Amino acid sequence: MDLTFFLFLSSGLFLGWSLGANDASNIFGTAVGTKMVKFKTAAIIAAIFIIIGAVHAGSGASQTLGELGSINTLPGAFMSALAAALTIFWIVRSSIPTSTSQAIVGAIIGWNFFASKPTDLSLVTQIVSTWVFCPILSGSIAVCLYWSIKKILRKSRLHLIRQDCYTRIGLILAGAFGAYALGANNIANVMGVFVPSSPLKEATLPWGFHLSSTQVLFLIGGIAIGVGVITYSQKIMNTVGNNLMKMSPLIAWVVVVSQSLVLFLFASQGLRNFLLSYNLPALPLVPVSSSQAVIGAVMGIGLAKGGRTLNWTLIGKIIVSWISTPIIAAIICYISLFFLQNVFGQTVYLP
Amino acid sequence: MFHINISLFSQTKALENKIDLFHDKLLDAAMTFKKAVRVYLTEQRSTEYRQLSKQIKQIEHDADNLRRDIENNLYSQNLIPDLRADVLQFDEVSYKFYIERPEITSEYHMRINELCDLSAECAENMAKASRAFFRDLSSVRDYSQKVYFIEHESDLSAGHLREAIFDSDLPLANKLQLSDFINDIADIADIAEDFIDELLIFTIKRDI
Repeated sequence: MDLTFFLFLSSGLFLGWSLGANDASNIFGTAVGTKMVKFKTAAIIAAIFIIIGAVHAGSGASQTLGELGSINTLPGAFMSALAAALTIFWIVRSSIPTSTSQAIVGAIIGWNFFASKPTDLSLVTQIVSTWVFCPILSGSIAVCLYWSIKKILRKSRLHLIRQDCYTRIGLILAGAFGAYALGANNIANVMGVFVPSSPLKEATLPWGFHLSSTQVLFLIGGIAIGVGVITYSQKIMNTVGNNLMKMSPLIAWVVVVSQSLVLFLFASQGLRNFLLSYNLPALPLVPVSSSQAVIGAVMGIGLAKGGRTLNWTLIGKIIVSWISTPIIAAIICYISLFFLQNVFGQTVYLP
Repeated sequence: MFHINISLFSQTKALENKIDLFHDKLLDAAMTFKKAVRVYLTEQRSTEYRQLSKQIKQIEHDADNLRRDIENNLYSQNLIPDLRADVLQFDEVSYKFYIERPEITSEYHMRINELCDLSAECAENMAKASRAFFRDLSSVRDYSQKVYFIEHESDLSAGHLREAIFDSDLPLANKLQLSDFINDIADIADIAEDFIDELLIFTIKRDI
């Protein structure tokens, strides 16, 4: 392993850094914005649990991406991650709530086209259906949680001060769980494309934890996300927190838990195995968008509270992102791979 | 961690008790004020009135200290509106009675009593609404509605009383003095109403 590996890995690390800077606000934004938790505490908890989630449970969603397209050279993986990052950068400017998950899937398909590898259409359909299902599921969970909490509060007549005390603890716990789920689900976006070509070896940590080569890669990606959280998420957290101030702290908690559960459901290999062992339907392990899960939860609560209409403009923007993000990422990836291969003379795929 | 949790819960419990005590003080002040005005109208500046006036002053002092203490804890969390201890201007009104000793002829006693009752009732319902905000959000609206209704009644009552005073043959100085008292008493209900306006907005924000 030489410096070239880290040079090629840089696009993935950059993607991880931006994911940490942006998506941590979905988990701890309310708690920090409402000053219920200090930013320093939130950032440390988020970084630690994202790394644990990535290393411990990141393989499931990553395996699905591997099945979609196994990018077998480092330059190819580098360009796919870079194409995803550029797509996100471009689409975010038009204020469409897009997702790294959708960009990376598009980039992998772009690589498949360039390398003339077959793309499993049934898998693509399965992945796209999870994107549609993700906000709906998040909304449904949020509605169930909202009604349950409302019922419990009516019955318990908990003092507001005590309620806030429990909510503060709840926000920290939900944030930790959310960070774990984010790490587990979204590490595939950041490091998934590097798995087949990674030269990293197995390693044993000083405390005796044994890590496989993929887990070492995920640890590096998890650290990149953690650095993004610590160095650049404060401003976004404050903005999200202030926007969500209109919500009560309890509703904010419901939103964080719903989003975290959805990310966990789409990432947990253990849960999937458990459900399959009882012949129950299990969800595919696919990286999904935490921002879209949050929007789904907020809309679900809005409907449960008696909101008459859905925000069709926002729904329209999400649908546009489902279609446009992967297509744009695929096109950028295809063109970039062409340049990388023919101008810079890099091997972007092995036959 | 266990120690931190215990300390957090004990702090929460102490704050809950202080808030309950603050509401008790508001109710005490309203009831004592009603009693004090009745005593003044029958006995003027008697020893009993003096004691009641001192009692109101003490209640206001205690409530003020509690308010500062509670607000110090709550402001950082941006939790509730200003607790508005100034509703306890019961103290100022009763002290004014004591110092200025207004001449109130018996024909106005019933109406002044009625106005005092309405203002005190407004403050009592405001205290109950504020207590409900912490314990049972769904009842805040019921108490608020009562405050709005009673405040309107107190406005009407104050208007009629002012009209009767200025239609009377009392010297102008007397009329103006009594009108000033009526304003001060009616202000108690107005302050309660303003507080309820803010409380309702906070209730909507906090309602899950």
